[in-house]
Amino acid sequence: MEKNNKQMVFTDASMLITEACVKAGADVFIGYPITPSNRFYQYGTQRFPSFLAGPDEITVMQWMAGYSAAGKFPVSATAFPGLALMTEGLNMAYAMELPMLLILTQRLGPSTGSATTGAQGDLMFTYGAISGHYPIPVFSHSDFEDSWTMTYEAIKTAIKFRTPVILLTSKELVMTNKSFDLNKLKEIKPVEKFSTKVEEPYKPYKTGKEMVPPYIPLGDDKYQVRINASTHNDAGLIKKNDPESMANTKRLKEKFEKRIDEIAFYDFDNQDGADKLIVTYGISADAARDAVAELRDSGEKVALLIVKTMIPVPPKVMEIMDRFNSVIFVEENIGGIYKEIIYGKNAPAKVIAVNKIGSLISPSEIVKAVK
Amino acid sequence: MTKNKILNKVKMPFCQGCGHGIIVRSIAKAMEQLGYTNHDTVIVSDIGCSGLVDPLFDTHSIHGLHGRAPALGVGVSLGLDNPNKKVIVIQGDGGVTIGLQHVLEAARRNIDITLVVMNNLLYGMTGGQISGLSTQKFKEQRHFEVDVPPFDIVKLAHASGAAFSARATSIKTYTEVLKDAIEVNGFSIVEFSSLCTSYAFKKLDELQEVFEEAEVYRNERIPVRAHHKERKSLLDNLQIIEKEFDSKIEKRVGLVLAGSAGGGVQSAAKLLATTGMFSGLHSTMKGEYPVTVGTGFSIAEVILSTTPVKYTGLETPDAVIVVSDDGWNKIKGNIQENSTIILDNSLKNEETESLKNKVVYGDFNRAAGKRGAALAALSYWIKDTGMMDIEALKKSVSSHKYSKVLLEAIEAGLNILT
Ligand code: SF4
Repeated sequence: MEKNNKQMVFTDASMLITEACVKAGADVFIGYPITPSNRFYQYGTQRFPSFLAGPDEITVMQWMAGYSAAGKFPVSATAFPGLALMTEGLNMAYAMELPMLLILTQRLGPSTGSATTGAQGDLMFTYGAISGHYPIPVFSHSDFEDSWTMTYEAIKTAIKFRTPVILLTSKELVMTNKSFDLNKLKEIKPVEKFSTKVEEPYKPYKTGKEMVPPYIPLGDDKYQVRINASTHNDAGLIKKNDPESMANTKRLKEKFEKRIDEIAFYDFDNQDGADKLIVTYGISADAARDAVAELRDSGEKVALLIVKTMIPVPPKVMEIMDRFNSVIFVEENIGGIYKEIIYGKNAPAKVIAVNKIGSLISPSEIVKAVK
Repeated sequence: MTKNKILNKVKMPFCQGCGHGIIVRSIAKAMEQLGYTNHDTVIVSDIGCSGLVDPLFDTHSIHGLHGRAPALGVGVSLGLDNPNKKVIVIQGDGGVTIGLQHVLEAARRNIDITLVVMNNLLYGMTGGQISGLSTQKFKEQRHFEVDVPPFDIVKLAHASGAAFSARATSIKTYTEVLKDAIEVNGFSIVEFSSLCTSYAFKKLDELQEVFEEAEVYRNERIPVRAHHKERKSLLDNLQIIEKEFDSKIEKRVGLVLAGSAGGGVQSAAKLLATTGMFSGLHSTMKGEYPVTVGTGFSIAEVILSTTPVKYTGLETPDAVIVVSDDGWNKIKGNIQENSTIILDNSLKNEETESLKNKVVYGDFNRAAGKRGAALAALSYWIKDTGMMDIEALKKSVSSHKYSKVLLEAIEAGLNILT
């Protein structure tokens, strides 16, 4: 028998993500079943310290916000039809600045589409989900290893920036079982939730240079906490059109813009002399990895950028794209959503899109487009 | 500073004569008389005129969305999980209408919150439109939806399981009813008639239609609280698989297994994947089946590879194993030239006979039964191709809770003559 230091198991990314959530300190899973997010629900019942079965996604999001306001970290998982219902509450939690994680398993749309067919079609919706176009952090993972690390980063970001975070995934990423070496998983420690440094006199939405208000739960015995979804001042009370509440509103965007480097995650696999760059994310990343290996074997020089911080778009990611004479976007949707977020409707000639719906983009399709 | 004074000294934001002010004062009085401090109190407010209450209370507060305050309050109460902290949710009849589900859900679960409904029969903030709690008299005067009766939220909440549901009709009783509601361990709701002086000045008699008599209903129940349970890691339950056998697979082999729901296709595919792992290979597996998992086709794809599998698509499977009509009908349009096709004998017909592929027929269903056919076919394939050691498949099955039956299917497969 061959002895090695590997711990090979047969599992799926839904399990790794669920486990990573609890290891990072998530307290409660609040679910409403929807395909292809059902494994999260199932693992959630088996693993989370608390589990609640919501009667619909609107309620789920409200319960999550309530838990978060009370100092407990909530997680849920859904697909587009659920996200549509949650968007009202997501805006609320965003304005209130409540940490939480929402796992969004993409499936083929529009509408109910095909529940069991994967897709990468919801990025634009998450990009525009917050009224006024404030960025809600959207992270994606591209394989088993980073399903683990990006979940951890998502929860860290949610707490550090006091914000809901979306972990964007898709059916094939979380419903495909693979052999996997558990030793590849890095240790996850529970994220420290509450602010220990509070400036006196305490005001619920007053911030220092980190631009994020202290996180103190409702019901605190020392500080009076006010949380508000409507336009509010530092005290957390409704206030229209005064400089303080306008500054507070603008801060919702600025806190991410100013500190974007802290949450800029991507894998950049460059090759000396390459002037072509493949840009991809999520489920299409593995096909791109295979395609790049094949291209390099055949003597082609090509670089690969796998983006994990989808929103806000890190300037570093755009700098990398700027360096190449040819940029090939690979996404399982029509027309290229990420491409449109980066280049708008008027992409320069150097930009090529490899798109498809209904099934995975294959390595050979990418190879063909690059050659 | 912690104190037993619940209200701030700020001016009420409501129109003159509005009924909301007296309800706010009654809430504060009830809390103070019951001995709650401002730090023990969380006010959850809705949208509308009733949603302007936050600054009036010198307590914790959270101001949410229209109709959603009861759901938000449920989250706060469960999240706090502290019976010494009191969550008071305030909403109007408009809020109850748009978020009726949230009220009923909170009542059904008997979550420990007190819901105060300020019913002024209309939407005050948007111009006096009717709500689901508007009375017929009120609507008669506006010649609008006269035949549609209002919801009786007090009875609805009671029927849904609320520990305490009441309608308060006389200002003199407000504080006492509220104290009863707040003291209840579980979900309590009190509906108040509140006069909107701006849009319904003459509606005293309209209000009377609902608020003729005070009502109190109780359900003797214990409130549902958050459950906490320390769980062990999901990864601890996973089987660690080490290489024990050799395989002849050189690079990568892909298989499609197709049959009917309930025919053991998914579990056979999983066993093949772990068989690969016992043979030192990397493997992936994914399933496809209709949304109604108990009927129709069931298809699984397995890839076995000497190197880790990144892209998991399977364009040209090396072998396609089909053990039922459901499976055949689903995949027949997608047969690739180079695949070997292994079919159950029952699928021998003109269509399958005309395939240009290498086709093998076996009596899998008859030999191993409907549930064992897929595994028997796999066992046959392993033996026939010699790609892996059949002992690896048996090893893979050994820790399964139905290992005995599965081993029988494997043996049946080994004895199949094609
Ligand atoms: S509009 Fe009606 S309900 Fe609103 S504050 Fe004025 S009187 Fe009260």
